Amino acid sequence: MPSQPRITIRLESNGRSFEPGDTLRGQYWLEGAAPEDVKAVELSVLWYTEGKGEEDMAVHFFRRDSLDQLPYAAGRWIGAFSTVLPYSPWSYQGLILKIVWCVRVRVFLARGKQVVEELRFRLGSAWVPKGISK
Amino acid sequence: MSTAGSFSTSSNPFSSRFVRPGAIPFFFPEGCSLEQILERLQQTGWQGQILGAHGSGKSALLAQLIPAIQATGRPTVLYELHEGCRQLPAPFPPPTEAAQPPVIIIDGYEQLSRWNRFRLRRQCRQWQFGLVVTAHRSVGLPELVRLRPDLHLAQKIVQWLLRDSPGAITPEETAAAYHAHHGDLREMLFDLYDLWEQRFRDRA
Repeated sequence: MPSQPRITIRLESNGRSFEPGDTLRGQYWLEGAAPEDVKAVELSVLWYTEGKGEEDMAVHFFRRDSLDQLPYAAGRWIGAFSTVLPYSPWSYQGLILKIVWCVRVRVFLARGKQVVEELRFRLGSAWVPKGISK
Repeated sequence: MSTAGSFSTSSNPFSSRFVRPGAIPFFFPEGCSLEQILERLQQTGWQGQILGAHGSGKSALLAQLIPAIQATGRPTVLYELHEGCRQLPAPFPPPTEAAQPPVIIIDGYEQLSRWNRFRLRRQCRQWQFGLVVTAHRSVGLPELVRLRPDLHLAQKIVQWLLRDSPGAITPEETAAAYHAHHGDLREMLFDLYDLWEQRFRDRA
């Protein structure tokens, strides 16, 4: 039985906080995947809302890769990405609503299976109401 | 350096994205299964009602039932009716190119006016459409299942949601939220969302 591919997402910065207009650069690594099992890899930089209500989301950057496009080294495929971050919406941590930015990598496998990994980051420095922040 | 609030790297497991119908597997009551419901539907000519109080899991069951109906070759058309929605949104009948007539699924059938319910059932009979509805009390269609969630089910759902952080909410806290809302699981999960926020929101 083929093993499940492992996805690692890394950002090229010291932290995970960015300002609007900054360039978000990073890589994803895909390990343990048999090339014949991987149909495609989708990379998105997106935001979504999270909380008690309806969800909203928008994709800022999207790319679909196939393994034969990606460099292979030390047992892993490596996909690099870079995008200039927009001016809104800023990340926000409210009680009933949060705006979450993330890099998401979705691997489409044979037989309709998928593996997803997500790395969150913060965009902007939104004011958080008193009593909510630490 | 920003002075904004903490940057959370994890989600509240009671957020809508994790508790919306379809995100949680439907835990069938004892003596009931998806196969049995499908079999009953086939016997009744694809007519049936799913009964239960607010937050008892009717929409969650639909989320599991719809793909199962589709897998039999019958297309489905879902209408989700919210408070005050007295008629079906257009278009009805829905356009379909499938060989088989569709099964119309109405989540919140009681929202429709009596006249629109009557008209819908007549049209479904006329066009040989199936009709599966959710309602709080009987609306005269063959009963597929009556959902009566209990504390045991509530604990099971919470345990499933907390599978990556077991013990973060105690069974006593789940029981308190369950009883506070008289068994309405949706409201119970909203309470647990708040409890999680109070307890863990500043965790980095």
